[in-house]
Amino acid sequence: MTRLILRRLMTAIPTLLAIIMLSFILMRIAPGGPFDGERPLAPETRAALESAYGLDKSLPEQLLQYLANILTGDFGPSLVYRDFTVTELVAQSLPISLLLGGLALVLATLIGISAGLFAAWRAGKWQDEAIMLGATILTALPTFVTGPLLALIFGLWFGWLPVSGQGEGLRWLILPVVALSLPIAGAIAKLARAGLAGQLGLDHIRAARGRGIAPLTILRRHALRPALIPVASYLGPAAAGLLTGAVVIETVFGLPGLGRYFVQGALNRDYPLVLAVVTLYASLIILFNLFADLIYGWLDPRMRGEQ
Amino acid sequence: MRIPLIIVAIIALAALIGPFLLPWGHAAIDWDYVRAGAFEGGHILGTDDLGRDRLARLLVGTRITMTVALAAALVALVIGVIWGAIAGWMGGRTDEVMMRIVDGLYALPFMFVVILLMVVFGRSILLVFIGIGAVEWLTMARVVRGEVMALKQRPFVLAAEAAGSSGTRTLIRHILPNIGPVAIAYLMLTVPQVVMVESFLSFLGLGVQEPLTSLGILVNEGAEEMDVRPVGLLLPGGILVTIIVCLTLAGERWRDRLTGTGRAKASG
Repeated sequence: MTRLILRRLMTAIPTLLAIIMLSFILMRIAPGGPFDGERPLAPETRAALESAYGLDKSLPEQLLQYLANILTGDFGPSLVYRDFTVTELVAQSLPISLLLGGLALVLATLIGISAGLFAAWRAGKWQDEAIMLGATILTALPTFVTGPLLALIFGLWFGWLPVSGQGEGLRWLILPVVALSLPIAGAIAKLARAGLAGQLGLDHIRAARGRGIAPLTILRRHALRPALIPVASYLGPAAAGLLTGAVVIETVFGLPGLGRYFVQGALNRDYPLVLAVVTLYASLIILFNLFADLIYGWLDPRMRGEQ
Repeated sequence: MRIPLIIVAIIALAALIGPFLLPWGHAAIDWDYVRAGAFEGGHILGTDDLGRDRLARLLVGTRITMTVALAAALVALVIGVIWGAIAGWMGGRTDEVMMRIVDGLYALPFMFVVILLMVVFGRSILLVFIGIGAVEWLTMARVVRGEVMALKQRPFVLAAEAAGSSGTRTLIRHILPNIGPVAIAYLMLTVPQVVMVESFLSFLGLGVQEPLTSLGILVNEGAEEMDVRPVGLLLPGGILVTIIVCLTLAGERWRDRLTGTGRAKASG
């Protein structure tokens, strides 16, 4: 177990490095810089700014300096929000994004697995067809349509829930979390159904049925864990989906999370901010993939040896 | 499978022909009827804040979204088929290395790479679809590789080789044509993916730029005025969702029919 984690972390480092370097280089060869405002700056001012931020050094030097700084948790100053360091901005916005993404993942898993299992149990019947059609439609709904739509229906027409910002209590979380979780729930439902349907046809399950064991007991003791393997393998992509979805949802609902800073940073060419967010996102996705591997081992003991 | 495709075809046809039937272009400003309601001054859906005909914008937006999607999906198809075919055909180490690269790329946060590409290379429509195509080819490569590996063992391929057909010739003349159906199924599944990515980028202001328009931009505009004019959100959103859902349904059906998973699932 510890060896698996260590090995995974060892392979994660080059991946992370590659991502950081790629995005670093991309951001630097981009035309237009952070100091290109409406009024051109005086050459001296510009040179002073560039040397203050270390932008006058050669690219490899800048990259090395940057990597060294990251190791100490210093992502540099934000070039646009001048009074803040990137670390401060991330520290402010990350909790909101984590809360949003975490709740959405839990909700999606609960809805997805129960709907998928129910569909597999009624395989071939109309309930199955209906749930699978619904799941396909859910996965196909982009968050930037469902977000505003939910806000329109429940926020403006019915007036039940707040439409933007973080009001009192936790009610402001409901719409963003639901909008974010829908496509993931659809995907999980499909995977859970396929997983369980595959299990139910196997000989040992049919034998258990033949012995008259109650369906729920069969599910709990024999079928559930292997049936959930496809769901576990979806954790990595789900994390990626949540992160991209959060970018839109935070913009739509006016929440000061990481995703919104990312879009703002990209539009303003705030290099340090964008790089920090990409690095953070990549680490989160790698972390989720590792998590998926650990869950595999728990779901299917055969995989423990192979890992 | 037929009904979803017919619906998409109708939308595509309307987007293709529709703009020619309207007296206004999507960027033309009608100064006499700024913010007109429906049917005022001959504008069927009215005009927006800048006096541009909403119907024309909707149709042109749909057209651009679908064009970008098709072009990007074709880019993905070409890269994916070439990559997958080479990996599957060569086998051994080459295959190992090429597929490791695909696995590695799968783990990247793609949307952010695309956003970086858009930021770096400027937001031209050409780069929008090349950028999207360049990141959406992974699944295609995997599927094609699997197909090629399976086909390699088939008697007709062995027969061709025994008859003295060279490796390249066998690959191009005998194997690639047989990938067709599966490749088309996954092409159909790639298109809705790309539609989603393009609209996502345009929604955030990072994709297609004004005066061109796309469904993503229209959804964004609609969301901003949804309290006074919900149709502005519902129409482009509805068309977008319809396209994505229909193509996904058709693509999945086709894929399941080809691979037989649909039947296997139902009997399980």
